[in-house]
Amino acid sequence: MRARGDRIGFLAVPGLAFLAVIYALPLVLLLFRAAQIDGQVSFAEYRLFFTDQYNLNVLWRTLRVAFLTTLLALIIAYPTAIAMARARGIWLSLFLVAMVLPMSVGVVVKAFAWSILFRTRGVLNDILMSLGITEMPIRMLFTETALIIGAANVFLPFMVLPIYAVMRTMDGRLPEAAVTLGAGPYFRFFHVTLPLSLPGVVAGCAFVFSLAISMYVIPSLIVGEQQQTLSMMIARSFLYLRNEALGATISSVLLIIAVAVVLGSSLLAARLGGQR
Amino acid sequence: MLQPAHSETGSDRYLEVVGVGKAFRGTKVMSDLDFRVGQGELVSLLGPSGCGKTTLLRIVAGLTSADRGDVLLDGRAITNVPAHRRNISVVFQNYALFPHLSVAENVAFGLRARGQAKDTTGPSVREALNLVRMADFADRRVSALSGGQQQRVAVARALIVEPVLLLLDEPFSALDRKLRETMQVELKALLRDRDMTAIFVTHDQDEAMGVSDRIAVMNAGRIEQFAAPSTLYAQPETAFVMDFVGLSTRLAGKVTDVAEGELRIETAYGTLRGTGTVPVGARVTLGVRPELIQPQEGENTLEVTLADAMVLGSKTQLHGVAQDNDRLLCEVPGIRTGLARGTRLRFGWSVADTLVYEAEG
Repeated sequence: MRARGDRIGFLAVPGLAFLAVIYALPLVLLLFRAAQIDGQVSFAEYRLFFTDQYNLNVLWRTLRVAFLTTLLALIIAYPTAIAMARARGIWLSLFLVAMVLPMSVGVVVKAFAWSILFRTRGVLNDILMSLGITEMPIRMLFTETALIIGAANVFLPFMVLPIYAVMRTMDGRLPEAAVTLGAGPYFRFFHVTLPLSLPGVVAGCAFVFSLAISMYVIPSLIVGEQQQTLSMMIARSFLYLRNEALGATISSVLLIIAVAVVLGSSLLAARLGGQR
Repeated sequence: MLQPAHSETGSDRYLEVVGVGKAFRGTKVMSDLDFRVGQGELVSLLGPSGCGKTTLLRIVAGLTSADRGDVLLDGRAITNVPAHRRNISVVFQNYALFPHLSVAENVAFGLRARGQAKDTTGPSVREALNLVRMADFADRRVSALSGGQQQRVAVARALIVEPVLLLLDEPFSALDRKLRETMQVELKALLRDRDMTAIFVTHDQDEAMGVSDRIAVMNAGRIEQFAAPSTLYAQPETAFVMDFVGLSTRLAGKVTDVAEGELRIETAYGTLRGTGTVPVGARVTLGVRPELIQPQEGENTLEVTLADAMVLGSKTQLHGVAQDNDRLLCEVPGIRTGLARGTRLRFGWSVADTLVYEAEG
C-alpha cells in the first residue's frame, strides 16, 4: 500500500513543475531583485519604501479597502449563505447559478458596469434625483466607497460559497436541540449557528481579503490614478517608472501580507475545526 | 377481538393531544389523532418507520406545527406556544450534542439559554452530570465520548432545565445491544426517581416493552392500541398489533360456521376453532402466541412439518413449513435437540388462546 501511495504522489508532478517554472522561479527572482543593490544583499529598498509617507498612505489605504471590502462582502454573504443552505430544488439551483454565473463575466465588464452606475449622470444619481433625495448629482465614482462596493460585488461568491458549504453540512438537529432547550432566535444564532459556521467565515474572509488586497483592474476603473493601491503602484513602477527595484519591493510587501493572511486563516480554521 | 371503534386512552390528562391532523405536501400523515398521557407516566410510541410517531413527537415538542387539532399540557393549550417557551426537552436520535462546546457547556446550554449567567451554572451542571455518572468528563469535548456517554450527556442536558415533559426520539438505536439494555434500565430508574413524564419514540418492541408503563402502537398515522405492555401482548386488538408486538403463529382463514359464539375457521392446514363475532363467510387472520402452543394435540391441532428448530438458550423455537404470509411458530422452554428438519409433529393450543381478526378489505 505504501509503495502505491508514493507512486500516486507522482500525479502531482506536472502541476508542481508547471507552478515551479511559471510561478515560483519568477517570484524568487523578483524577491532577489528587491533585496540587492549592485549585486550586494541590501534592505535599503525596503527602508526607502517604509520611510516615504506617500507609500505608507498607499499601504494603509490598500489594507483599509481590503478590510472594508471583506467586511461588506461578509455582511451581504452571510444571510445569503443561510438562505442557500435552507433552499431546495429549483431555488438552490437559482442561487448557485446567481453565484457562479457572474464569475464567468470578466472583471473588467463588471467594473465598467459599476462605473456606469456610479458616474455623475449615472443610474444611481438619476434615481436619487428623481426621488428628490438630492438636488445635485453626488460624486460617487472615483471614491473609496464606490471601490469598496464594486469590489465586494465582484468577490461576493468567494465569501458566500465557503460559508454555504459549511452551513450545508451542519446537522439540522443542532438548532432544533437548542430550541427545545429554551433558546430563542438570537441565542440560537449567536451560540449555535454562528460558532458552527465560523470555519466557513474564516475561509471566505481569507479569500476575499487576499483578492481585495491585490486587486488591480477594479480600482483602476473605479477610482483611477488619484488614489493608488499597492497593485497600481507595482504596475506603475514596472511600466511607467521603469523602477524594477521599487516594483519588486512593493510586490514582496504585498506577498508577505497575503502569505500572513493565508497562514493565519488556516491556523484559525484548523483551531476552530479541531473543536468538533 | 375485533377492530376497535376507538383506541383506549389514558384516564388522567397531563398531556393531551386532541384531534391532531397533519399533511406534508398534500400527503396525509395523520388525521384526527387523540393521545393522552398521565403525569409521571413513561409512554412509548411504537410503530414501523413512516407511521407518524416522530411527527407526533415533533408536534408535541413544537418543532412541527399541526394543521389541525390542539396540544394541551396540564389543561393549558400550548398549540401556539413556540417550542423554546414550552419547556419540553428532547433527547434526539444520535443526541445532537453541540460539537463546539464541552460536555459541561452542553449541559449548561439550557440554563444559559434561559438567561442564567455563565459563572453560576456550575453547581447545577455538576449535579446533572453526577446524576448520569459523567462528572469526570465535564471538560471533555463531546466528540471524544462513546455513544453511551454521549447519550448520558444528552439526558443530563435535557433534564437540567427541569422540563415539564421529556421526549426521546429513538434514544437507544445508536447503541449496541448490551449497552442498550443497561442504559434502558438506568434511564428508567432515573426518570422514575424524578417522577418525570416521558414519551419514547421507537420502532423496537423490546425497547418499548422494557421502558414504558403504556405503549401506543401506531400504524399509518393512527394509534391502533394504547395499553400496558402485558395487555398489548396478551390481548392485541388488531392483527397489526399482534404482528408488531411479539411473535405469533399467524394464519389466513375463512369463517365457515358460527355456533354459540364459537367460530369454525377453514385454513390451508385444516379447520380450527376460535371465538368472536365475525359473520360466516368473512376472511379472517388467526393468531396464537408461540409459547401458548404445545408440540402435542390440543383443542386446536395442526399437523406441521418442521422447517427449523432454533435453540435460543432459554427457549427453543419450532418453525413449521407454512405458505404465503402464514407463519407456524411454537416456542418450548429450554433446549430441545434431536428435532430434525422434515419431522412431522403437532401444534396444539386452546380455543381461548386463539386470536381472530376480520381481515381488512
